[in-house]
Amino acid sequence: MHRKSIVTFMALAGLVLAGLAQAAEPVRIGFSLSKTGMFANATPSQLNVYELWKEQVNAAGGLDVAGERRPIEFVSYDDQSNTGNAVKIYEKLITDDKVDLLLAPWGTPFHFAVAAVLERHKFPMIGNSAASVQLREIKPGYIWFPTSAIPDKIAEEMGKLLSSRGVKTVAVTNLQLPFSLEIKQFLMPVLERAGIKVVVDEAYPPGIKDMTAILIKVKNAKPDAVLSLSYPPDSVLYMMTARELGIDAPFQFVLIGPTIDFFAKMFGPAADGIVTVGHWSPHQKAWPKAKPFFDAYVAKFNTRPDYLDSALAYMSVEILEQAVAKAGLDKEKLRRVIASTTFDTINGPVRFDGVQNATTPTMFLQLQAGEAQIVWPPDQATAEIMRKPAWPAQ
Amino acid sequence: MDSLLSGQLLVATLVVGALYALVALGLNLIYGTMRLLNIAHGDLVMLGAYVSYWGFSLASVSPLVSMFVAMALSALLGMAIYVVLVRRALHSTALVARIEANSLLIFFGVSVILQNTAALLFTANPRAYAYLDQVIRIGDAAISANRLVVLVVALVVCVAAILYLRLSMTGLAIRALIQERDAARLAGIEPERIHLLSFALGFAMAALAGSLISMIQQVSPFMGFPFTIAAFVIIILGGLGNLMGSLIGGFLLAAIETYGVALTSASFRSILIYGVFIAVLVWRPQGLFGGARVAR
Amino acid sequence: MTRRRLAAATAFLAVVALAALAPFLLGPYLVGVALDLLMWIALAESWILLSGMTGYISLGHAVFFGTGGYVMVLAWGVLPFWLVVPLGGLVAGLLALAIGYPCLRVRGPYFVILTFGVAEFAKFVVVAIEAGLGKAGRLMFGAPSLDELYFVMLALAAAAFVIADCVRRSRFGAGLRAIREDEDAAETIGVPTTRFKILAYTLSAIIPGMVGTVMVLRSTYFEPLQVFDPLISFTIVTMAIIGGSDGAPGPLMGAVFLVSLSELLWANLPEVYMILLGALLVGFVLGAPDGIHGWIRARLARRGA
Repeated sequence: MHRKSIVTFMALAGLVLAGLAQAAEPVRIGFSLSKTGMFANATPSQLNVYELWKEQVNAAGGLDVAGERRPIEFVSYDDQSNTGNAVKIYEKLITDDKVDLLLAPWGTPFHFAVAAVLERHKFPMIGNSAASVQLREIKPGYIWFPTSAIPDKIAEEMGKLLSSRGVKTVAVTNLQLPFSLEIKQFLMPVLERAGIKVVVDEAYPPGIKDMTAILIKVKNAKPDAVLSLSYPPDSVLYMMTARELGIDAPFQFVLIGPTIDFFAKMFGPAADGIVTVGHWSPHQKAWPKAKPFFDAYVAKFNTRPDYLDSALAYMSVEILEQAVAKAGLDKEKLRRVIASTTFDTINGPVRFDGVQNATTPTMFLQLQAGEAQIVWPPDQATAEIMRKPAWPAQ
Repeated sequence: MDSLLSGQLLVATLVVGALYALVALGLNLIYGTMRLLNIAHGDLVMLGAYVSYWGFSLASVSPLVSMFVAMALSALLGMAIYVVLVRRALHSTALVARIEANSLLIFFGVSVILQNTAALLFTANPRAYAYLDQVIRIGDAAISANRLVVLVVALVVCVAAILYLRLSMTGLAIRALIQERDAARLAGIEPERIHLLSFALGFAMAALAGSLISMIQQVSPFMGFPFTIAAFVIIILGGLGNLMGSLIGGFLLAAIETYGVALTSASFRSILIYGVFIAVLVWRPQGLFGGARVAR
Repeated sequence: MTRRRLAAATAFLAVVALAALAPFLLGPYLVGVALDLLMWIALAESWILLSGMTGYISLGHAVFFGTGGYVMVLAWGVLPFWLVVPLGGLVAGLLALAIGYPCLRVRGPYFVILTFGVAEFAKFVVVAIEAGLGKAGRLMFGAPSLDELYFVMLALAAAAFVIADCVRRSRFGAGLRAIREDEDAAETIGVPTTRFKILAYTLSAIIPGMVGTVMVLRSTYFEPLQVFDPLISFTIVTMAIIGGSDGAPGPLMGAVFLVSLSELLWANLPEVYMILLGALLVGFVLGAPDGIHGWIRARLARRGA
């Protein structure tokens, strides 16, 4: 054979291949988030993660689609905090925009709303920021939930945690919204079984502007533990008022708020010792990917990730990435892979049983010296739980 | 029972009431003089809050200083909106006929613009800072220093505004315009100037409230709506155009929030507030202190 | 019936027939958009029965929508869908009747905010009931298909349009407009103002109640704050005013305009579409104070039609 022509042929082939690789068609990934409306201040922690992931993947050469590397492109919309819009949008993404993959919206109601669409079109999607026992009623198949912060498990573990701290009396205040309501429902019988007396039981509607009346009752009851099943606005009220009144229960729990960056900025050392839900901490040495994620987020956004929502969002994209690497973009293959693989995430190994995460235990976090540490269960802890110190005087 | 008499509940009522009253007063000025339903009022609170937040975070400027900047900026915005949008509406007979409905729409548009511009510029991430959060004891009550500041500033400004309206010539003119639009003209009062002033004042008071609120609550682009609602409920409850009525209405609502809850249960908080509102209006259709004549 | 009316009726039927073809011709996304459009038409056409005709602006119309939705939630699985829809309308109508008498004594801006307060009151009552029942959000499986919901909504929208038109042309409507022009004068010349107002309010509540029963099935998950959302009330008012609140064509035009505009902007300019929408709203009100319908009528009048 003429060596020159072989070489030329090889060179040309190489150039063509290289050219093809450069022009690799992007993988289009669709989602909607509440960028405006009443949930808009909760979604940035998730949107930021999606953007961070896209940046990281594209910088590394693209998403690994069963061996082929292709860049990621987002097709995203604003559902305006309306679940009806989310349903429309996901239908549009699937049938109109014909995206290759889907990422989850934010929040439990939106996950439920979208689940029906996924089922209808047989399109798999990994959820993240949803937490309700009713998740188990969704037929397994096209949606999965990596969270372990499910209300009945939270109640169970809280009972164990309180018992282990020798708590005999507890004051419970709760906001009348789904997540906090659900936890309260499961919590009451758990506390009764554990022999813990509920000395204050106050529920309040969304939108309250003052908690003084409620917390005076709590203070007068002198409980060993205070559980404030609150969302960020009332969590802030709790912190301010509890500090004013000098509520000195050694165990104080605030449901939603402490994992969000603004909380630490607003309360500083006053927030130390507050316990909250969460199953991720950058300080867990057993999860080598945890700290790098934390650092990358801080570097890009100049603010800390939400220890719950951001961690879950990143887990969901890690799972997607690993699944696509194995199964490519075929929906049925993806579905089988997601349902049967154990994934390696920033939160350790994750494997699904039905729609739920079967490997990650339900945990609690505590703010210590401004850092979120895992303090329960003992075998997952990154730090030992501490007594809530007295509110700072000056 | 003795918690009801505690100073703590009283202090809480005063803080919440003063803040409510401050926001309501600004709205009442605008509604009273021009019959404009400014449903963007809460968004001005939001803007004021952001001015103070950024002032503190970027330049360590105390909100007690940046509040003046917030007020000035907001007053300018108010005057701009008046000149560009409102004046046109007030001069067109077609628009004036349905001024309430049309103003609702105009300010709805303004509200949407303000909220989404803020979201675009600042992202929807909730923001907060710590300032003056030490706890001070007053008698048997304890209060965070920042909440005390909110109470004092809001109260002083409300009282000053009411006094100004009662005692100064301009204030008298404003009140004349509120009470009897056409007769005021006959008396030689120039509505243009008064309108501009009312707008500037109303907007400034909202921004001031925002600066104060930024010390005690997280700031985000869509935080304004609850304040708009509260302000409207209060000005209607107290009687439109009656500024003293707004002050009283603000404290009344706050009292329900604290004492109402203490007497019944926290779960009835909103039902009580709206229930009282509805009951008062059904009993007195012009609000507690509204004039017998309701100009349409 | 005059020739003009016959032509109008034919046109109306043709439009309805065309709309009925939508589920067969369009994909699920566009059917969803059409469903939303029909919902707004039904709501806005019902709203003007009181608020457009008498000038008593209700800013809390979401209360009827939410009440209907809650009726569907409570009856879900217990009563058949076909029974619950009219039931929701009935409950909403009864609610309007009950609150109508005390509330309609209040006038002007007081009425506006009062209706808002009533809607919020109802919302928090439902929140309290749900919390008391131990329900933390409800999942509703087995809802009718999008196409089924669409046809029901088409019927409701058509009915609302027809009712609005009939009221407008009737003596009842004339009485309502007299109330709008000068209530005291109307009273003097013998218009039974209280009765008419309450009747108009009740009528304006029935279809929104039924619309609520249907739409709550759209997103599988029910939560009180969503169905009593003030934004629903505001949007209704916006559409009716932009379109023109003095007759049946107005709200229809307003709804079509706003939905089309939103779809156009939202798809193409996601970051700024809300800002543009707000700006357009403002511009519109300043430019066409009697709404689209009023503007068209003025044009036609000028041309001497």
